Amino acid sequence: MPIFAGSLLSLFQAARFTKKTGKEELSMMNCTDCLSRNTCPSADKPMEEYIRRLPLETAHHRVQGQSTKCGFGLQGVCCRLCANGPCRVTPEAPRGICGANADTIVARNFLRAVAAGSGCYIHVVENTARQLKNTGLHRDKIRSEKALQRLGELFGIDEADKYALCVRVADAVLSDLYRPEYEPMELVRKLAYPPRLERWEKLGILPGGAKGEVFQNIVKTSTNLSSDPVEMLLSCLRLGISTGIYGLQLTNLLNDVVLGDPEIRPAPVGMNVIDPDYINILITGHQHSLFTYIQDRLLEEDVLEKAKAAGAKGFKLVGCTCVGQDLQLRGAHYTEIFDGHAGNNYISEAVLSCGAIDAVLSEFNCTLPGIEPICEQLKIKQICLDVVAKKANAEYIPFQYETRREDGDRIIDEIIAAYRERRGSMPMNLFSEHGNKNTLTGVSEGSLKAFLGGSWKPLIDLIVSGKVKGLAGVVGCSSVAYGHDTLTAALTRELISRDILVLTAGCSSGGLENIGMMTPEAAELAGPNLRAVCKQLGIPPVLNFGPCLAIGRLEMVATEIAAELHVDLPQLPLVFSAAQWLEEQALADGAFALALGLPLHLGVPPFMTGSSLATKILTEDMLELTGGQVIIDPDGKSAADRLEAIIEEKRRALHI
Amino acid sequence: MKRFVIIGAGAAGITAAKTLRDFCPEDIITVISTDEKVHSRCMLHKYLGHERDAEGINFVPPDFFEKNDITHLCCEEVQRIDTEKKTVYYGEDYFAPYDRLLIATGSAFFIPPIPHFREAPNVFGFRDLSDALKIDAAFAAGRRVFIVGSGLVGLDAASALCRRGAEVTIAEMAPRVMPLQTDEFAAGVYQKAFEEHGCRFLLATGASDAVVDEKGNIIEVILSSGERVACDFVIMAAGVRPRTQIALESGIAAERAIAVDDHLRTSVPDIYAAGDCTGLSGVWPDAMAQGKAAAENMAGIDTVYEKPYPFKNTCNFFGITMLSVGRLDDTEGAKILIHKTEKEYKKAILKEGKLTGFLSLGDISNSGLYLHLIKNGIDIREKQDKLFRLSFADFYGINEKNGEYVYTV
Amino acid sequence: MKRIFIDPKKCDGCKNCSLACMESHRKDGQTGIYTLQLQDPENQSRNRILSDGKGGYLPIFCRHCDIPDCAGACMSGALQKNMENGLVEYNADSCAACYMCVMSCRYGVPAISPDRRRMIKCDFCTHLPEGPACVRACPKKAIEVREV
Repeated sequence: MPIFAGSLLSLFQAARFTKKTGKEELSMMNCTDCLSRNTCPSADKPMEEYIRRLPLETAHHRVQGQSTKCGFGLQGVCCRLCANGPCRVTPEAPRGICGANADTIVARNFLRAVAAGSGCYIHVVENTARQLKNTGLHRDKIRSEKALQRLGELFGIDEADKYALCVRVADAVLSDLYRPEYEPMELVRKLAYPPRLERWEKLGILPGGAKGEVFQNIVKTSTNLSSDPVEMLLSCLRLGISTGIYGLQLTNLLNDVVLGDPEIRPAPVGMNVIDPDYINILITGHQHSLFTYIQDRLLEEDVLEKAKAAGAKGFKLVGCTCVGQDLQLRGAHYTEIFDGHAGNNYISEAVLSCGAIDAVLSEFNCTLPGIEPICEQLKIKQICLDVVAKKANAEYIPFQYETRREDGDRIIDEIIAAYRERRGSMPMNLFSEHGNKNTLTGVSEGSLKAFLGGSWKPLIDLIVSGKVKGLAGVVGCSSVAYGHDTLTAALTRELISRDILVLTAGCSSGGLENIGMMTPEAAELAGPNLRAVCKQLGIPPVLNFGPCLAIGRLEMVATEIAAELHVDLPQLPLVFSAAQWLEEQALADGAFALALGLPLHLGVPPFMTGSSLATKILTEDMLELTGGQVIIDPDGKSAADRLEAIIEEKRRALHI
Repeated sequence: MKRFVIIGAGAAGITAAKTLRDFCPEDIITVISTDEKVHSRCMLHKYLGHERDAEGINFVPPDFFEKNDITHLCCEEVQRIDTEKKTVYYGEDYFAPYDRLLIATGSAFFIPPIPHFREAPNVFGFRDLSDALKIDAAFAAGRRVFIVGSGLVGLDAASALCRRGAEVTIAEMAPRVMPLQTDEFAAGVYQKAFEEHGCRFLLATGASDAVVDEKGNIIEVILSSGERVACDFVIMAAGVRPRTQIALESGIAAERAIAVDDHLRTSVPDIYAAGDCTGLSGVWPDAMAQGKAAAENMAGIDTVYEKPYPFKNTCNFFGITMLSVGRLDDTEGAKILIHKTEKEYKKAILKEGKLTGFLSLGDISNSGLYLHLIKNGIDIREKQDKLFRLSFADFYGINEKNGEYVYTV
Repeated sequence: MKRIFIDPKKCDGCKNCSLACMESHRKDGQTGIYTLQLQDPENQSRNRILSDGKGGYLPIFCRHCDIPDCAGACMSGALQKNMENGLVEYNADSCAACYMCVMSCRYGVPAISPDRRRMIKCDFCTHLPEGPACVRACPKKAIEVREV
């Protein structure tokens, strides 16, 4: 374990004998400051300080060492597609050895990233659909028959038996996913907003089978295949559509059936949710349905007895990353087992460092490799449920419906064993004052509409009257290279101060909730009109839709509002920002936003600026193609200026 | 306190003055020159082309003499040197005593013995600012120019006058332009460029006679081919000769050029010579280097001046750049390698594993190492396959002490 | 005087120094890597990283030589060795674009400008109070400014 140099280890060991919170004790030690002075800034100042003083290395610490970025990489003009490379574009060498120019290199890299990102979400929806199918086949627990009925209606499936309906709905999704790329997916026509569908048809970007699309585009971007930047950028849109409708929207709707509909309620967030008296399991990933069995099993009497025998009060799941957000979203159904959401992807290392986590169950990203040495050091059991997220030192126990009982018990036993082994010998460094207890959660297209009285009209009226100037989806990831959640928070503050209601989905939710932006008190940060609305309704100015998958829910909200107004999506006073987009999945999400014709702000460009053509298509020409547009701005205030201007322009066009 | 006198304010003379000042902060330094203003001969075409004024072709800062406390006696012709009394006489019997003297009189254009050419008042050289002034005046009266010689000087004058819309005819004895620096291909590129700018070339022919008007001005040049070319004036660019007259008259050994030893000392004690007048080289960098070496010796710092490698030049006409090093014509028993693309042309002459000539046309960036390889006779047999892609990376070395580079061969 | 010392063994060939140089000398008034035009010859770097052919890299940076051949060849006075700060300084206004400097530098440092009217060479980023941009950009500390 090279990162745990002797001095660090001994210091950490010294800390464990303290009875007060580790934080205070550590700060008393003389050399703690020198340990980790160089962490990145965070929007969450107490967390920034906590991490700065950690005797373990986190992503926040590693930012410094990676601060010198490769400029060619940043501009997307480094090509590693063949053994002649890497080729980089310079004034003296404007083409790669194969002859590819900056436009080709950028478009190829970009499409590859979008294809990979799409593959990720398609993997998630595939497993989710399989889970629904198994639920139907095995007549397992259905938590929302309403959600199931809704899917049946959407898909046009007439089936009285709810279990048979589960199977038929799941099969409809799976058969689309498994179609070849040259066969268009059928549900697209049923789920897409008609004006959009028409535009997509015109552009020739209706996707074939979602997995086939990923495959096709990986082929397209391989060595010395496509060098047509325009065609490749259009392919990004096609992948965006399959990602958005299946990976995002349908994953949510399918999960609603098995896991329960979101319900609006206040919930605790941040590291205060961790109760050291319990056996704590940190969950990371995106596939909530893989936890369906185990989260119920952990509450059963015989299992609880085992926990008590080990000296704990029971089990708790601690939320982290999007699967935590999803659990939080549906938290009304899981009050007993779910402690609350501790934080987003870049908090996971800090959460593990608190000493009270006994195991990590992971099934997808964002499971950072950085947790590995921390788990090893703190004897935290790592179990991986899906090989796509296999950590080097995790035990791999694949989730299989058929063997879920035996596997579940095995997992539970391993976790109890870890608890027994580590508790008492591992240092505690709790941070119980972190976060808050009254973050509004559980917002979805369904729960929000219900909250508004079963109609979008109240919200539309607020928008028309200008009390809500417009809507902004501040979505996607958290990143640390330029500050943890700093841009997300700055932009959100700016937007709400301009009476723009912010809706979040993804790790942006995790960051914003921990700094209190989703508590009713945050209304004070809003502009006067929005503040009044929030106070009247008792809601925060930032509405928490939960995981990044729920970007699909935001888009459903937008579509329903557009439909009610009889306008197309690009006409709405609605903007999106993936201010701190991090990964390839985010790019696939973003491609969907562009296909929907929405303005999309990004804090840093997606490795594209090396191509003036790609930059122009994404930031300008897209307006003609779909009505969408990429806006790059690393500054919260000026980004808000630009997004506000777009909202105002769209309001004018709608004569409101 | 020593008295240093320098005759000439060209590359060698000025460099010597500056070097002396660097080493001898207290001594008296005097520069005597026929030129009124210090100017770079190599930039005369900028003046003639009206791209720059006289100050614009000054290669030292305007306050050079003041700042360095050097006396500049300008527009003064040196009459004689009394080597016994160690005194330079100039102008109307003015004199400047010296402890050490540097002769840096440069070279003068040469007029071959063609009838009328040596006498005609409208035959000009293109060496000094005064020449450029005369041409400028003549150009005001007539735009038809006849240039004898298509070397760098002739083409400099031609490019400047083309810029101003002159009707230029250039006669060249050799079958191609810039015969010393080019091969056939490179010459063709430049010839075409000049022709596109209004020049006319008469190659492999020379002026053999002329028709003059009543004032003796040449109005028509008759070529050895019999062709006749009418003109308003003539520019001689058929070579230069070291200016040795003052040395000869003062009893300093000189034949074609002033004789110097490896310390740039002439035959007379305390008299040094540097620059074109030594006949060692005719290019600017060497004149500067000689000025510096001579000055160091005059200041008492023993400096051996290594024989220069004079066959080197660059040019930049109409944005077409060329580097030419070595003897391109000397191809007997040589291996000739050529690299040619749309944008560049390179040619290398190899003899017994060593480069003896190198020509590069196009982007000549970072090509200084070829001069180094030729000048130092570095064996590149093992690197022959990448001859045109050589860089300092192939000879990389670092002096750990001061961080400078050194060649590793 | 100060000189950029080079330790080629540490160089990874990332060319961050080249990009930093380009950024430091760009003339479009903008800043930031994302807007730096990587294909524009006007933006060419003053330093170069060459391969040693054996997997290593050899940085070529102007040495601001004690006896600079480039300045010794300059017939316009545009290149001058500044005896106070040790730098070989270049004044583009005086330059005649004759490229005798290109011919005279045996290390191949001077480059010619795309418009063929100037030469391009390291200026030690004298416009930046914090010193040469390349040095700060090097993630491996293969180049550093030292007093000589």
